[in-house]
Amino acid sequence: MDRTEVGALVRAAVDGDAAAWKALVEGLSPLVWSVVRAHRLSDADGHEVYQTVWFRFAQHLGRIREPEKAGSWLASTTRHECLKVIKALARLMPTDDPQVLDRVSEDRTPEQTVIDSEEAAAESERIRRLWQEFEELGERCRQLLRVLMATPPPSYVEASAALGIAVGSIGPLRQRCLRRLRARLDARGAV
Amino acid sequence: MNDMNGARFPDDGAEGDEGVEEAFVDAEFDAGLLEEELRRAAAVLDPVPAELRRLAVEAYALHDLDAKVAELTFDSLVDALPVRGATDVPRMLTFRAGELTVDVEVTGQGLMGQVLPPQSARIEVLGGPQAAAPVPVDTLGRFTSDTPPSGPFALRLRTGGDVIVTEWLRA
Repeated sequence: MDRTEVGALVRAAVDGDAAAWKALVEGLSPLVWSVVRAHRLSDADGHEVYQTVWFRFAQHLGRIREPEKAGSWLASTTRHECLKVIKALARLMPTDDPQVLDRVSEDRTPEQTVIDSEEAAAESERIRRLWQEFEELGERCRQLLRVLMATPPPSYVEASAALGIAVGSIGPLRQRCLRRLRARLDARGAV
Repeated sequence: MNDMNGARFPDDGAEGDEGVEEAFVDAEFDAGLLEEELRRAAAVLDPVPAELRRLAVEAYALHDLDAKVAELTFDSLVDALPVRGATDVPRMLTFRAGELTVDVEVTGQGLMGQVLPPQSARIEVLGGPQAAAPVPVDTLGRFTSDTPPSGPFALRLRTGGDVIVTEWLRA
């Protein structure tokens, strides 16, 4: 989402424009969701983090010093809340096994069901294989790509806030991770 | 690219598929195109759940220009060392707005706390844009609730002419 547009929407929302708020949710909730998913929280934890972030954003709306950077504010707040969840879980379960945190839902989304029911079975299979290879990338690459694939695409500044990685590293790391994904797909003759 | 291996991202280096990378990808593959395919896949396989989108839209009701925000200044989860072997340790939180401090302790049994300096106040536990439950407060500003927060929560305090809301967080 364009930063000047975000800034204008934040200012309008502060002034009581509910439609501007809705536009902010439409434009930036995929980024918040991507950051949540990048951290592999359980569905329940992920949903609570997502809500906490939006509740806090609403609460702080009039106090955000640089409205045009609201995307980075959301990304960074989401990251910190995710890290808190991971920290709390680590205290409850003294384990470093990432599988414990990896309880991604098996539920099929309505969109997925539509795809299954249509003739687009081949396309569906292609997407599933792409997703599977993506999921099996190293943790660092999986995190970065999960954030970058939000719609609309986040800026590198937002990705940096989401992941705690220097802005200057995002571009090279992205290139490297996509190359690795391409290699995995090629190796399996997929896509 | 090789300079990015090793010290900076040791977790990636340990995967052992570097050989695959070298062998199969030519130098000029279209990274932007692959990213776009991932974006389409994410929109189909892992979109923002509709119910969460709706909750975020409704969260606008929490935008309150008249309330002061009491910021989280201490969180035992972050600021205190864990006690070895101890489980079900209460979560200790401190919020501050100007001269006013609110100490809160959250356990599996509920929530208790104290307004400082001691003073009477009306306090509600908020659970979202629609949910607000008043809690009993004594004249010294001590309060208890035997319902533990079940998700994100905040406290809304009315004292004197002020309305103060603590920063939203997950219990």
